[in-house]
Amino acid sequence: MNAKSIIASLTSKFPEEVYDADIESDIRTVAKVKPDNVVDVCRYLKEDLSFGHLCCESAVDYPGRNEIEVVYIIGSYEHPVILTMKAILPRENPVIESVVPVYWNANWYERETYELFGVKYLNHPDLKPLVLPIEMLGEWPLRKDYQGFPNKTAKNLV
Amino acid sequence: MEETVGPSEMIVHLGPQHPMMPGPFRLNAKLRGETVVDSEVEIGWIHKGIEKILENKTYLQGITIVDRICYLEALTNEEAYVGCVEKLAGIEVPERAQYIRVIMEEFSRIQSHLLGMGEYASFVGFVSMFMYTIRDREDVLTLMDSVTGARVTHSFLRFGGVKDDLPEGFKDNVKYVFGNLRKAIDQYEELYSTDSIYKSRTVGVGVLTADVAKDIGVSGPPLRATGVAFDIRKDEPYLVYADLDFKVCTQKAGDVYARIQVRLDEMRESMYIIEQCLDQIPSGPLFPEGTPYGKRSPVMRIPAGEVFHRVEAPRGEMGFYMVSDGSDKPYRVKVRGPVYPTLQTLPPLLKGVSVADIVAIAGSMDTCTSEVDR
Repeated sequence: MNAKSIIASLTSKFPEEVYDADIESDIRTVAKVKPDNVVDVCRYLKEDLSFGHLCCESAVDYPGRNEIEVVYIIGSYEHPVILTMKAILPRENPVIESVVPVYWNANWYERETYELFGVKYLNHPDLKPLVLPIEMLGEWPLRKDYQGFPNKTAKNLV
Repeated sequence: MEETVGPSEMIVHLGPQHPMMPGPFRLNAKLRGETVVDSEVEIGWIHKGIEKILENKTYLQGITIVDRICYLEALTNEEAYVGCVEKLAGIEVPERAQYIRVIMEEFSRIQSHLLGMGEYASFVGFVSMFMYTIRDREDVLTLMDSVTGARVTHSFLRFGGVKDDLPEGFKDNVKYVFGNLRKAIDQYEELYSTDSIYKSRTVGVGVLTADVAKDIGVSGPPLRATGVAFDIRKDEPYLVYADLDFKVCTQKAGDVYARIQVRLDEMRESMYIIEQCLDQIPSGPLFPEGTPYGKRSPVMRIPAGEVFHRVEAPRGEMGFYMVSDGSDKPYRVKVRGPVYPTLQTLPPLLKGVSVADIVAIAGSMDTCTSEVDR
């Protein structure tokens, strides 16, 4: 299975839901997906295209475009192709379906993305902070407009 | 994990500071008698915010920061980070520099496995093994020190090359150290395989099956111990690994014993790789000629774009996802560490084992909390 056939299969199965699909090199592909369909696409990737290995899941903040991109980097144990899949969410209220039912290890990645970016995951089994103290929830420190000092958490320390 | 406890059940918090822990994380175990019913891992005690720090440092300054993700994997972290920038900027690394990188990264694999194995042995009550491995690790660190100038946090890689050439007489030193290390590894293997008490504590304990491991996204020695030959050096060769002869060490059983056996075999394989590299290494420049890249790289602006680059760290797949907006600082860096998924295997693996086995299972995973928290 090579990058070309993977992208062809993905775009023919989801003509509406997947867009901007592209091949960067023999082992790197990119695609964008509509936020509502992310679980269906992931399930198809895992079951039919043997993308069984979620390398990581995270987000990138774009205040200029008023968007948050949720990025799924999905690899495989069978073939070397990696798919970088993005779902674009509005910055004010980023909500997306959790992919934990498909990829078990998305659990911690989603908890971390939630506390660092404020992306809310629906149907996540246990959405609570992972690496930050609970008082910092709502600060969203990895967003670009995070000021750090003087924040209410920082004030408490002084 | 449910916080409510039934009759004759109790919750024991192991950690965050606990002698058996390789780093501060907390394991909340719900026990019924001696048996673990349920467990949960809590992390975050050494969250350093490295992803945010990297956004505020220039690309060159970032090399020093990624060392601190985990000091045992410093060189492979640098390789992943520097590889991202090289892919974005289209820098070709000269062959001699690639060979030096491979040599140093395989050294870092050997010393990481030695420390991990020693720590694990002391967790299961085999404290003298820790002394042996630390003794042999010191020789390896001295060799690395003679090239990079530092024992653990090296800051050795640069964009397009490496900071320094191999010193005079390095090959002879390596030959001498490897003579001793080969004997030592054979000795460890004999100690492990002949001790009946050790075997009864490890064989068949903490069995991770290939399906579960793949589902959780495990990579590195814990995955290879289940029989899956997944190795980034083979599947997605970077540097000169495609030209080198080595095999991916696997075991079938997937238990604690197999995970340690994989590490022992990998150290032998790493020594074999280093010897090949020292024989084959060509002479030539350390940096691409006719470019500004060098020991003192100027402040660089990297073309806008994004890249995911992964390498095989001692503990598994280390990947960096980097987004550049064309300025002199990365717009976003996501660190995908190998231990992050490996630590998530603990709750399913610990279900039903006795309290004494928690240490053996957690130790054999060779986890590094510093890298999980970042």
